[in-house]
Amino acid sequence: MLRWALAKILQTAAVLLIVSVASFSLLKLAPGDPVELMLGDDYSKESHQSLMIQLGLDRPLPEQYVDWLARFVRGDWGTSFVSRTPIFQYAFVEALPVTLTLSAAALGLALLIGIPLGVLSAVRKDSAWDAAAAAVSLTGSAFPSFYLGILLIWIFGVAFGLFPTMGFVAPWSDFWAGAYHLVLPAITLSTPFMALIVRITRANLVEVLEQPYIAAARARGEPAWRITWVHGMRNVLMPLVTIVGLQLGALLHGAVLTETVFSLPGVGRMITDAVLNREYMVVQAGVMMTGCLVIFTNLAVDLSYPVLDPRLRPR
Amino acid sequence: MAINHKQILANSLAARLGRRRLLQGAGAAVAAAGLPTVAGAAEGGHIKLAWIDFVDTLDPHFTSYLGAIKIHNNIYNGLLKVEYDGEKVSFVPDLAESWTLLDDKTHVFKLRKGVKFHDGEICDAEAVKWSVERVWRGTPKSPHAWKYDYLESVEVVDPLTVKLNFKKPYAFLPVALTGSTGRAGTIVPRKAIEKYGKDFGRHPVGTGPFKFVSWKENDSIVLEKNPDYFEPGLPKLDRVTILIMKEASSAVAAMLAGRVDGMSNSPLQFINQLKANQSLVVHGEIEGNYSLMAMNCRRAPFDDVNVRRAVGFAIDREALIKQAFFGIGIPAYTPISPPMTGFFDKNIAKSGRGQFFDLEKAKAFRAKAKTQGAIEAVILTSEQGQYGTRVAQTIVPMLDKIGIKAKLELVERAAWISRRNAGDFHMLDMTWSADLDPDETIFPEWHTSNAWNFSGWSNTDFDKLVEQAQVVLDVKTRRDLYVKAEDILMAEAPLAILTHMPEFKVLSKKIKGFKYTPADSLDLHTVSF
Repeated sequence: MLRWALAKILQTAAVLLIVSVASFSLLKLAPGDPVELMLGDDYSKESHQSLMIQLGLDRPLPEQYVDWLARFVRGDWGTSFVSRTPIFQYAFVEALPVTLTLSAAALGLALLIGIPLGVLSAVRKDSAWDAAAAAVSLTGSAFPSFYLGILLIWIFGVAFGLFPTMGFVAPWSDFWAGAYHLVLPAITLSTPFMALIVRITRANLVEVLEQPYIAAARARGEPAWRITWVHGMRNVLMPLVTIVGLQLGALLHGAVLTETVFSLPGVGRMITDAVLNREYMVVQAGVMMTGCLVIFTNLAVDLSYPVLDPRLRPR
Repeated sequence: MAINHKQILANSLAARLGRRRLLQGAGAAVAAAGLPTVAGAAEGGHIKLAWIDFVDTLDPHFTSYLGAIKIHNNIYNGLLKVEYDGEKVSFVPDLAESWTLLDDKTHVFKLRKGVKFHDGEICDAEAVKWSVERVWRGTPKSPHAWKYDYLESVEVVDPLTVKLNFKKPYAFLPVALTGSTGRAGTIVPRKAIEKYGKDFGRHPVGTGPFKFVSWKENDSIVLEKNPDYFEPGLPKLDRVTILIMKEASSAVAAMLAGRVDGMSNSPLQFINQLKANQSLVVHGEIEGNYSLMAMNCRRAPFDDVNVRRAVGFAIDREALIKQAFFGIGIPAYTPISPPMTGFFDKNIAKSGRGQFFDLEKAKAFRAKAKTQGAIEAVILTSEQGQYGTRVAQTIVPMLDKIGIKAKLELVERAAWISRRNAGDFHMLDMTWSADLDPDETIFPEWHTSNAWNFSGWSNTDFDKLVEQAQVVLDVKTRRDLYVKAEDILMAEAPLAILTHMPEFKVLSKKIKGFKYTPADSLDLHTVSF
């Protein structure tokens, strides 16, 4: 088990290295140049050259990459050339907690609403409940999060003035204000995810409920809630956990738009800005952080299988 | 005939410089000496502004973005500042108490007494000299260094008097010196810059009405009242929070929901909705800017002057304003725009000068073109600024009428800038903004030697005229030179000029005392809440 986990972690490091090379080269290959962007209307060939040298961008690409990697692993993530802040502070200390909080809130909301709704439509298969849940989940997955965010802002923020439309308050410094500010962004980010959970839960539970061991449980006279939530859901958890793990990337991707719409200073917005400004080192930091997050979540999902399904435990 | 340069500059550019200002300056010195500022103490308040513009750095000598300059103007002062009375733009003393010209090349500035930077350093002649030299020949080189190209030396005459010696008379100086669009004349403290080095832009220290408190990336910039500010009774606000919001529609929603008290700007599509809201005031007049369609003179088909002229007359500016600018803006005939008091011709529409919509004329030029069959051209455009791709989209069918089959190539901003700078395009749409002097609006953009001349156009007569206009101080003579230069420019048509536009600032009605200037600034000195 330990060897297996170690092998997984080594694989993860290799994947991260490939990801970092790919993102570094892709961004360098893309047309556009950070120095021209920084100079804006004050562009001239001389000012361009002098700033290139200042930022070390005149050196060969592999040299720039190796230099970045050597510093990165030592914990020196560099300084953003646009904002002049240490990237570690900006990316890890300031932006990451925002995205993690938003993603956790969205994930929590999606599970809290998605699972009961999926169970309801599976148990009441082909009823009006089922049809309603299917309609909700289809609408939810069809709505682009960008549009949904703006719609929620206009309805709940502007027309009714119920919720804040922007900004982030850290829930660890003020829980209720934090939660209040997170309501609309979390709904926006969780909606497509919630729709997916409803569909996965329903499809798997419908299948499970037709298994002979469920019929046996019914024959034993076990109460309906126990049949559904204990015997049934136990076997739905595996596909659900897999999907949640795999979809974390999509959740982070959704966070980019959600953070932009709601002006949240998270990793998504940081990466978008950095890509647009060709801030290679900030993009690298963002890619490495999100890469780690996705890879380690998958690792955690893999590690959770033996816990969830005794058949997979090493004998 | 000898020209009294001092009188001319004093009259035309610093119309307000005089006794009234000197008295105010004296008052300021008393206030700065420590007497309580009654009005300031009685006011107060904390405003939140949604900032949809990009802020690169709070070091005024190294910025390239108006979004940052709007903040700088609240933290720093220049030797002079821009003032607007609703009709006329003028340059009035700010850190200077008086400004005299010993001759047309020697400017003497007498400074206000007792002005201190936010860190306690004294703002005296040495500080001014050091600041000017930082821009002029400092390392790293400031992108605004060119504004001191004609500077020969800076002398400290006494602790409160500084003398700038120029090689030639320099008509652009007032704009170069203002803490507004000029940036080169903003005064910064030496000690703080030596302390923070390259990071000064994240730890700005100025002499302005507001002190810097914090900057949280992608989130907010916080300023607080400078109790020692030299203008008596100012500022009135205790605190300003600038919320950095990239998405304009979110900022508009926050504005309408009353969650912010102002917006640094607004895309045109929201203006009517914001104006209709009873609790808001939308400030915005035609500013010193112009939108244009640049044509690459180094490449076929636009190496042919008749094709370019045809384009210049084929664009229906009224229709363009309706479709691409939501009805906001005025047709431009030449680059010089209304706030350039003394240079803008109010009757230009009837004068027959410049470019305007005249399809017959456009067709006549097209008939003289070397290529008579259909011409194919690509408009390089990007989803940027307030106008996005709408200008390019609206112009395509207009060009069709003169046999130019234009296609749009939509690229991302970074790629657009790269290709623009490299001259890798047929046509591209862009704007020049926040200009207050004709030199700024014409010289760097169209002079042969300049890096901003992306069209690659070159005309020696034009070059001579605009060079001459830089070193002539008399407004009438300058205006005549610019008329001739503009006539060459518009006839040669490296650009099709399109519109002059307002820049908007949206504020809650609860905010009082805001003074609008058409320099795309958002000065909070006099604002109360």
